Amino acid sequence: MNLSAILVITAPARVETCMSLLDSLSGITVHHSDPITGKIVLTQEAKSINAEIEGLKRIKALNEVSMAEMIYHYFEDDEVLEERIPAELDSLQGLGELPGFLKKTSE
Amino acid sequence: MPINITRRDFLKASMAAAAAASVGIPLSSVAQAAAAKVDEGWRWDKGVCRFCGVGCGIQIATKNDRIVATKGDPDSPVNRGLNCIKGYFNGKILYGEDRLTQPLLRMKDGKFNKQGDFVPVSWDRAFDEMEMQFKKTYNELGPTGVAVMGSGQYTIQEGYAASKLVKAGFRSNNIDPNARHCMASAVAGFIQTFGIDEPAGNYDDIEHTDTMVLWGANMAEMHPILWGRIADRRLSNDKVRIVNLSTYSNMSSDLADLEIIFKPSTDLALQNYIAREIIKRDAVDWNFVNKHCVFATGPYDIGYGMRGNDTFAFEAEKDIQAKQTTVKLDAAEAIGQRRKADEQVAQANSQSAGKHWLIEFENFKRAVEPYTLDYVAELAKGDADESLEQFKQKLKQLADFYIDNQRKVVSFWTMGFNQHQRGTWVNEQAYMNHLLLGKQARPGNGAFSLTGQPSACGTAREVGTFAHRLPADMVVNNPKHRAFAEDVWKLPAKTLNPKVGSHITKIMRDLEDGSVKWAWVQVCNPFQGTANANHWIKAARKMDNFIVVADAYPGISTKVADLVLPAAMIFEKWGAYGNAERRTQMWREQVSPPGQARSDVWQILEFSKRFKLKEVWGEQRVPGLKDKDFTPGTLPNVLEAAREKGYSPDSTLYDVLFATKEHKQVKWPDPIAKNHNNHTVDHLGDGWFVEKALFEEYAKFGRGHAHDLAPFDLYMHDDVRGLKWPVVDGKETQWRFNEKYDPYVKKGSGFDFYGKALKSIPSGDLDGITHKEKTNLAGKAKIFFRPYAAPVEQPDEDYKLWLCTGRVLEHWHSGTMTRRVPELHRAVPNAMLYMHPRDAESYGLKRKDVAWIESRRGKIKALVETHAGRNRMPRGTVFVPWFDEGVFINKLTLDATCPISKQIDFKKCAVKVYKA
Repeated sequence: MNLSAILVITAPARVETCMSLLDSLSGITVHHSDPITGKIVLTQEAKSINAEIEGLKRIKALNEVSMAEMIYHYFEDDEVLEERIPAELDSLQGLGELPGFLKKTSE
Repeated sequence: MPINITRRDFLKASMAAAAAASVGIPLSSVAQAAAAKVDEGWRWDKGVCRFCGVGCGIQIATKNDRIVATKGDPDSPVNRGLNCIKGYFNGKILYGEDRLTQPLLRMKDGKFNKQGDFVPVSWDRAFDEMEMQFKKTYNELGPTGVAVMGSGQYTIQEGYAASKLVKAGFRSNNIDPNARHCMASAVAGFIQTFGIDEPAGNYDDIEHTDTMVLWGANMAEMHPILWGRIADRRLSNDKVRIVNLSTYSNMSSDLADLEIIFKPSTDLALQNYIAREIIKRDAVDWNFVNKHCVFATGPYDIGYGMRGNDTFAFEAEKDIQAKQTTVKLDAAEAIGQRRKADEQVAQANSQSAGKHWLIEFENFKRAVEPYTLDYVAELAKGDADESLEQFKQKLKQLADFYIDNQRKVVSFWTMGFNQHQRGTWVNEQAYMNHLLLGKQARPGNGAFSLTGQPSACGTAREVGTFAHRLPADMVVNNPKHRAFAEDVWKLPAKTLNPKVGSHITKIMRDLEDGSVKWAWVQVCNPFQGTANANHWIKAARKMDNFIVVADAYPGISTKVADLVLPAAMIFEKWGAYGNAERRTQMWREQVSPPGQARSDVWQILEFSKRFKLKEVWGEQRVPGLKDKDFTPGTLPNVLEAAREKGYSPDSTLYDVLFATKEHKQVKWPDPIAKNHNNHTVDHLGDGWFVEKALFEEYAKFGRGHAHDLAPFDLYMHDDVRGLKWPVVDGKETQWRFNEKYDPYVKKGSGFDFYGKALKSIPSGDLDGITHKEKTNLAGKAKIFFRPYAAPVEQPDEDYKLWLCTGRVLEHWHSGTMTRRVPELHRAVPNAMLYMHPRDAESYGLKRKDVAWIESRRGKIKALVETHAGRNRMPRGTVFVPWFDEGVFINKLTLDATCPISKQIDFKKCAVKVYKA
């Protein structure tokens, strides 16, 4: 399993449209955006590196996208660890409601 | 509340937060908290990307001695947090399944046998055989019988150690890097024009300029991170324009405002057209030119860097080889060179191609006069489906962009210029136009040579791992430079060999003709990467020689080797690289190398322990050595003089060159290591910090000579992301030769092209030298006139198509690293034969057919690709990338070189294509 964080740049006026296009692609979660600079940060999950590259190409091919590059790559192959409920979450739960940035990530 | 959040979700959120923070997207405090949480238990450290010459900063996370994550370094001024696909694999490449982890020797019945199979052996056994074979050859042929093929991927310390061992220890100049194939023409262009190597500008020129012209540089695919900066600049400013000049349409054309498809080698004519326009439109910046430049030219009859005889040529290639001695000028060449068509011209200056002399501006003006729009457009138009009128409009537009005094211009180039039979000329022509316009060495204005390898600049060029070079732009055939090096290296006078050694292609030719019988390949794959490869494979396997290949993965070079040494990869060792903007960057060892794999520095130093001075520093025979300070053909015995320096004939090269008293004072462990390991030091076992000591000794060459490097420790600081040399008083230099930025510039001069090489030359006219008396050109740059010259091999009745070769984005060089990642391999499974659909049709081929491609030198099969989105070929030209050892395209390419730089032209030869 491969995880990457990808930066997408679009025209500032098109941020919303671009985000909904990206959100509809499989394996992609849009996390952050900046309507002033047109920057969007998303994560992509893919079974193989090939699928990740194809995934990036698919993003680059969107009309709305002027640029897309990877920023962060995680490749610790430990399925058991990945499926575990993280201990870190306990301390975050102390914040009260589940933090917004985590809400969209589970399906 | 049901919790179905897994660590994976948490990782995603955290990575996204970290990524957003690094590109400046405002985050909530909660998200920031997440970013800080994910990597608990990971050790992050700064590093440099292993791949191209851009030199992106990356951050590497390790846990339990493995790399678990990488990210673009947000603090790197080069990539500002981004990474391209290649950068992404810095962590992955270490863990391929077929990683070489122990020495392998070809053996039969327990003994070395060239026809034997590879058998795992110990390091001791490997070095025993290597030493025995070396000494056999060295005693028979002397220093010229041995060679090292090095690399632009050497770390600075590896290149320095290899160069010192070969030049000072073995007294041989036969060390040359694969970087010869990558940017030797750029080097020659810099030295001839400015007297000093490497660009004046830096990557910030992208944000300072409004016009970027790409000459034979598909940056969108090859330098994606710089391309990202260019795209940003283009999209954020309406005035910015991008021009893409190429022999075929590529990915960089997508963003370009102007695309110019030209015929191979006609870039020479295009540039002269621009120069002619500059003069015609009275746009010369005379203030700049009169104060800082002179005009110069050189001979045209310089051959094509091929061998002077056909003893080893295949029957089919003899007609091309014959042109090394005599050429019949074609009609276009005749016009461009002011001669008659069909004239037979003996290539009298093939051994003196680099000589040049001053000319008057009036001569220069007369020389570019034939390069009219009509002549150049007719000659250069590369797409048969484009109208001549449209092409002319484009050339005018190109000239307008350069000449417009409201525009700043940066010209970028890579292999299109450098891998060129007139590569040095075409580099010089880029400076010609920038200097004429005064658009050089200023922010946003300049001709900027990019590089393809991570330390082509930092190691190959700056350390000088070339057959003619010493560190800091010094050369072996200059007595003052040798004396300087002998002083730094504490060698007796006349230890160093004044005769330039064999360049990497010549080392291959030497293997074929038996004049080199022992070779060590380091950090490269030259048996795949050198043109006309059938010759060199045969030489390696059939001749009586011994070839050692140190590598991390098996490739064609390891397959033809007699001994394979397992090498440590980038983050398994300490190192330093220098990128294309003069930025030196360092990293620590992050993880241990697997199995018995060891760093190249360790291999070099360990091997040096096996030589006593009396075995190498006695009198040595060097065929062809001619120098006023030496007996012809001989290097003197320096053992007596060595004794005076405190060495004994029984001292080893390790003691004398490496484990010196001074070096041993640089102790390991060192707090700068922050508890990172150093397996090189551990295995040498004598407690000195090898990489730091070697770097500090090397830096002595450049300090005070306009190549100043900072102290080792400064590069390791947490807040330093490399420094652009010259680093004077701890301050890096942004733009060289410009008084405002460069401390070496003479005060009050404004600009000072202070490079010292080739700054005293005779004068003459367009035909030759008329006054032998030399003029001193201190502080000035040369504006060269260079004519159009046709490629030595062109399509004809038999071989109807141009073949161009190059890289593709997903792979890097010969693919020995990136092709290890199985999924990446599948992304581009085989090198394709890219061709125009109508060409394919005319040969009875369609997409995905298997076709034979054949040249005078060999033939191979490949899959036809006519619908490629990225490479769109004009009719008459085909493209094949060279990463795939299953599609071994260098069996077909021609080993003609630029006669000045000795760099091979991989961009043009003639082939035929037919259905398999």
